[in-house]
Order: sequence, then structure tokens, then C-alpha cells
Amino acid sequence: MPEPEPVARPEYDPTYLNSLRELYVIIGLFAVFCFWSIFVCYNYGYLSPGEQLGEVSTVLGMPSWAFWGIALPWLGVDVVAVWFCFFYMKTDDLGEAHEGEDLAEQVAHLHEGEEARGE
Amino acid sequence: MNNLFCAPLLAAGGSNSAIITFLVYIVGVMVLAWLSNRLLQSKSFLSEYFLGSRSLGVWAFALTFAATSASGGSFIGTPSLIYTHGWIVGLWIGSYMIVPIVSMGLLAKRINQVARKSGSITIPDVLRDRFESPVFGAIATALIVFFMVFNLIAQFKGGSVLLQTLLQDVPLFQDVSHGLAEALHGVPILGESEDKPGYLLCLLVFTVAVVVYTTYGGFRAVVWTDVMQGLVMLGGVILMLPLAIWAVGGLGSATREMAQMTPPNNVKLELTLTDPSNSTLNIPNNSWLVQDEGGTRRVFRTAARAQILPGEQTASYRVDKDSYSREIPGIELTYAKQVANATADDLGRAIQIRVLESKEYANGAGRPGVYVTGPGPDAKSAAGFLPFSLAVSFFFMWTFSGAGQPSNMVRLMAFNNSTTLRRSIFAVSIYYSMIYFPIVVIFCCARVLLPGWETESDRIMPEMARVTTALAGMPWLAGLLVAAPFAAVMSTMDSFLLMISSAVVRDIYQRNINPKASEKTIKRLTYAATIAVGTIAMLAAVSPPQFLQDIIVFTGSGLSTSFLAPVALMLYWPRFNRQGALAGMLGGFATHVTLYTVGTIMSGKVDAYEPFNFHPFMVGLFASFVIAISVTYLTSPPPEHLVRKYFYK
Repeated sequence: MPEPEPVARPEYDPTYLNSLRELYVIIGLFAVFCFWSIFVCYNYGYLSPGEQLGEVSTVLGMPSWAFWGIALPWLGVDVVAVWFCFFYMKTDDLGEAHEGEDLAEQVAHLHEGEEARGE
Repeated sequence: MNNLFCAPLLAAGGSNSAIITFLVYIVGVMVLAWLSNRLLQSKSFLSEYFLGSRSLGVWAFALTFAATSASGGSFIGTPSLIYTHGWIVGLWIGSYMIVPIVSMGLLAKRINQVARKSGSITIPDVLRDRFESPVFGAIATALIVFFMVFNLIAQFKGGSVLLQTLLQDVPLFQDVSHGLAEALHGVPILGESEDKPGYLLCLLVFTVAVVVYTTYGGFRAVVWTDVMQGLVMLGGVILMLPLAIWAVGGLGSATREMAQMTPPNNVKLELTLTDPSNSTLNIPNNSWLVQDEGGTRRVFRTAARAQILPGEQTASYRVDKDSYSREIPGIELTYAKQVANATADDLGRAIQIRVLESKEYANGAGRPGVYVTGPGPDAKSAAGFLPFSLAVSFFFMWTFSGAGQPSNMVRLMAFNNSTTLRRSIFAVSIYYSMIYFPIVVIFCCARVLLPGWETESDRIMPEMARVTTALAGMPWLAGLLVAAPFAAVMSTMDSFLLMISSAVVRDIYQRNINPKASEKTIKRLTYAATIAVGTIAMLAAVSPPQFLQDIIVFTGSGLSTSFLAPVALMLYWPRFNRQGALAGMLGGFATHVTLYTVGTIMSGKVDAYEPFNFHPFMVGLFASFVIAISVTYLTSPPPEHLVRKYFYK
């Protein structure tokens, strides 16, 4: 008795897999820069209730907490964007646009319905 | 007796540069609309009209995404907040550093691919096709129309107020607006706006311009004008940054000066003449009043336009259509250097000042340093402008609410290939770096250069443009700088207008009423729907509802809470099914609306209840994800053919 042919296991779409990998990296990047910015600004830029500011320390003319907690991570994101966009993110085939296909299917269903009622 | 010293302080000059800029600008967008319409003749109508035939290249895609995200808030609301609360607004807006990567990279590649596979043109189209559920498509359409109509009315109002702010000192504008008010006297709806003729004129001009170019040119006209508008915004900021820093003698000098400042007190003043007036005495909004009494100098600025009528001695102002008050609102400066340097405006008569009420800021009063540290001064909240929990909330909200906006998602369906996407994410990252952080710097400088604008802080952008260019000896440049907010408002309005008309034509009519409609019918209906939606929004904006800014926040965050979880999960999770998507969308919507309803009942105005100080967006988004995932696991897996179509080779 011949053995049944093994059912071919379908492969995931590579565009989907690449997008998924990129999604994890994007969430990781958000977590890193969110933590960096808020940690630095909150610890070095906030006054406690009743606390008076002495001399304001500045870097490049801005309060130092704004430089280390906002300007620098902002610059960091731009550098990371170079890596992410030009070295990490894949160039994937997005496929041909099936213009009007969804509507054509809907119209076909309508015709089927009309024919069925006609019978 | 109190004395009033009168001399002009940075008197507003009637400049025509703003009106010329606006007219040149309108001509530019009309030319782009005409070119787009020519392209429209040679392509598949719906795909071209609502999606630009999915052919956007790097510059078009990057700048339409950036310009649509940057609404009037970026050039009016944000400068106003920076001016009012200082450097801490840099953290409030800081998450824009990561917005391009997240809001474009998170969904773009997959939503573009899925829309191509199904032939979808709108977001409800994608949802309907992905789950083969007409009901789901209809609910998504209803939510988009519900939220976006409110938002469109708000944007129309915002654009008109902005234009009015910029043109109010131009004599030609004043004459035309009064003529229009007289012509429309007694006309239903439009005539109701007779007490604000300038606003009505601006509303009509803005509406006609936006509706005409959007209707005529469709998505491609919107995208091309976005490109122009995006470049204008960038040019405005890049020009203003060095002018602002130069005008205050360097950024370090401005920051040190801000560190000495203390917030003003909010006051109510009684202004009287010693003798009854023979003629009407006008006391314009933002008038400086100085009181020297017993060696003590006090400086006030009015926050309402007041008048002393013939035969009367006391000033009054119009609170609303039917009521007047003699308690003139204003501020009192508390920073000694500004108090010493202030000069009163020349009002033609000596006026006595009596302070009826004076309120200190709830956070920051009398404390130097509050403008260069967190949580920042705040007139009403004792916790300050940005306490820790709100800082976290806003970092999440700006990033993920952008990703969840249907108006942004539809742009993600329109780029031509993934190389364009990669380059565009980088381009928008650089673009945002060159726009948002410089805005923080510019309007921190404005705090030093232009004291007392807490009275009307929404006007700080055009004032800063006018003053910095005048100081640099280039007043003609002001027109170019004020074009940036025009651009920001119009690029958002046209996108929203097109979103609503696409929902009406494609999602309601073609997919639910008449799928067999001919292209000619669809074309006519599309033009009619775009004009009708624009006209209805304009009529609603003639007498807009109160608390409009709060409504904008409500609708923007409401759309994201409803759409982000179902769209993200449908793109990345093969097990995700129709029931889970529907439950997630309605769960996010219900949570968001419930928190706003509770907040509104508690405060008496449109406001959100914030559990543990977290914004309803975060609570709603969390609820939406949890409900969507739970319901999916509790119900049967999706049909095999749908999983194969959208996830497998």
C-alpha cells in the first residue's frame, strides 16, 4: 500500500517575518530611549516641592538635564535611524496591488446570491 | 491716586506681509491641485483619488507623513506651552525623537502589503477584507466618521483663528471683514457670527481654499501640497532659530535669564477715569498698564479688549454675546527686571487701576528656577505642568497615538516600495529633529524677548516672527515665517477632509449600498461628498462648540485607542480573529469614552478621568490589547484561507 504523500508545510511570507523582526527592534529602541530620556530628566531636571534652584548649569546654552536627557538621545535616535533604515531593515517585495479585487469579489458574491434566488 | 505712564511697547504694526504670503501660498496650492487633477484623468479613479495609485516616492511619502502629523498645534499650541511653562516642555514633546521610527516602522511594511493583497483603498476596507466582515468595516467607518467630524470642525476653527491672528492688524482685512459682517447680517447661521467678522472672513477663505484644492486634486494634490507645506515649515523654523538666539544674546544668556524668572499672577482689574469720558476710549487686548504708588511699581497687562463708553468712567469688556463685565482679566508681572523695564501703552488718557483679585500660580509662584526645571510652573495644578506620571504618559502617547491614527495609516498604504519606506523613516527622523527641538529653543528665547504674552500665548509664534525679523532689519521675512503655521493647519485639514469623504463614498456607498456603481457615478459622488463634508464642517465652525481643544485631544486619542490594537494584531498575529478584533476596537473605544464621560461629569467640562494620573489613551490602549487577545483565545481560530492569504507565501 503506497504511503500518503506528506502534506507540504506552508512557509511564512518573508516580508511578514522581516516585519516581525523589525517590530521587536522598534519596540526595543522605544524602550531604551524612553527610559534614557525620562530617567535623566526626572533625576537631574526636576525640583522637589519647596526646593530652590541655585546656579543653573548649562551645556551648549541649554539646562544640562535638557542636553543629556533630550538633545543627546535625540541625536542618538538619528544615528540609530541610519543603522536601522540603511543596514538593518530589509528591502522586501510588497507585491502587486490587486486593485478592485475586493470589490469584484463582493460583486461576484452578489451575483451568486441573485442567481441562487432566481433558481 | 494711581498714575498711568503711557508709551508704546512693541506696538503691533499693520504689516501686509502676512496677507501677501497667504495669497501667494493659496495660488501655489491651487496650481498643485490643477496638476494633480490632470494626472487623475489617466488613472483608476478611486485608487488615484484616495491613495495616489500607491506610487508615492521618498520625498512625497516622507513629507506628507510629517506634514499631516504636524497640525496647527505644532506651531501654535506647542510654542504657547513652551512660552508658558519653559524648558520642561522639551520633555513633554521629547518622544518626537522616536515617533518616525515607531509610527512608520511599526505598521508600514505590513499594512502596505496587506492592502495590496486585498486591493484595499481605505482603513475600513483593510479591516473588512482581512476578516471578510462587512459589519467590521461598517463599524470602523462609523468610528472614523464620528471622531473625524469633530476633529475637522476643530481644525477649521483653529485655521481661521490663526489666520485672523496674523491678519488682524492689516487695514484691508479689517475693512473687508466688517463689510462681510454687514452683508451677512440676518442670514441664518452665517449671520450669527456678526460679533466676530474677522473670524468669519478667515473661516470662509480657509474653507473655500482647502475644499477646492482637496476636491479638485484628491489625495495627490493633498500630498503635493503637503510636500510644499512641509518644506515651508522647515524653512520657517530654520530661519527663525538663529534670529531668536541672536536676538537674546545667545541661548546660554536666555537660559540664565529664565532661571531668574518667576511666574506672573493672574489678576482682575478695575480700570477707571477720573472724569467721565466724552468719547469711547478703547483699551486693546494686551495693553501694558503701570502703577507707581508710594515708591512701589506694579506692571499689568490686559487679557481682554475693554472699552470706556461716553459718559462712563469704568471700563468693561464683552464676556459673551449677552453679557459684559467690569472685572478686566489680565496678568501682573512679578519678575523684578521685567517690572523695572516695562513701559505703559499710550491710551490717550490717565487711568486709575484697582486690583480686584490676584491669584498666584498653583505651582512655581515666587520660585526662581521653575522655568528651567521640571515639573514646570502651572497656574492651576499644584503638581506642576508635567509631573512624572504625565511625563511617562506623554512619551507613550505621542509615539503610539501617531501610529494608531487612520490618517497616518492610510499614508502607509500609499508608498511604492520598501526602499522608499526605509529612506522615508530616516528622512522624517531628521526632519523632526530639525523642527521640534529648535521650536523648544526658539520659544524659550521668546520668554526672554517678549514678556507678558501669557495674556494671549497662542499669538506668540507670529509675534516672535514679527519681532525677530524687525530686530534683524528684515521685516519682509516675517511673511515667510508665518507661512509655517498656515502650512501646518492646511496639511492636516485636507487629509481629514479626504478621510471623511473616502469613508462616505468608498466604505458606505460603494461597499454597502451600491457595489456595482459606475466609475462616473463614483466620481461625481466623490466630488459632491468632499464639498458637502467641507461645507458642513465650516457651518458647524461658525459657532463652534466650547472646549474645542479638549475635543481635539479626545478625538485624536480616541481614534488611536480604537484602531491601534486591532490593526497591529491583524498584521502580525495569524491566530487573531474577527471576534477579537471587533472586541478590541469596541473595548478600546468604550474605555476611552467612559473615562471621558466620568471626567466630564466630575469637572463640568470636556475632561478625562485619569486613573493614577495616566492618560485615558494609555488605559484605553491597554484595555484594547487585553480584550482583543482574550477574546481571540476564547473563540475559534480564523478561517484557514485568510491565514494563508495574508501570512504565507
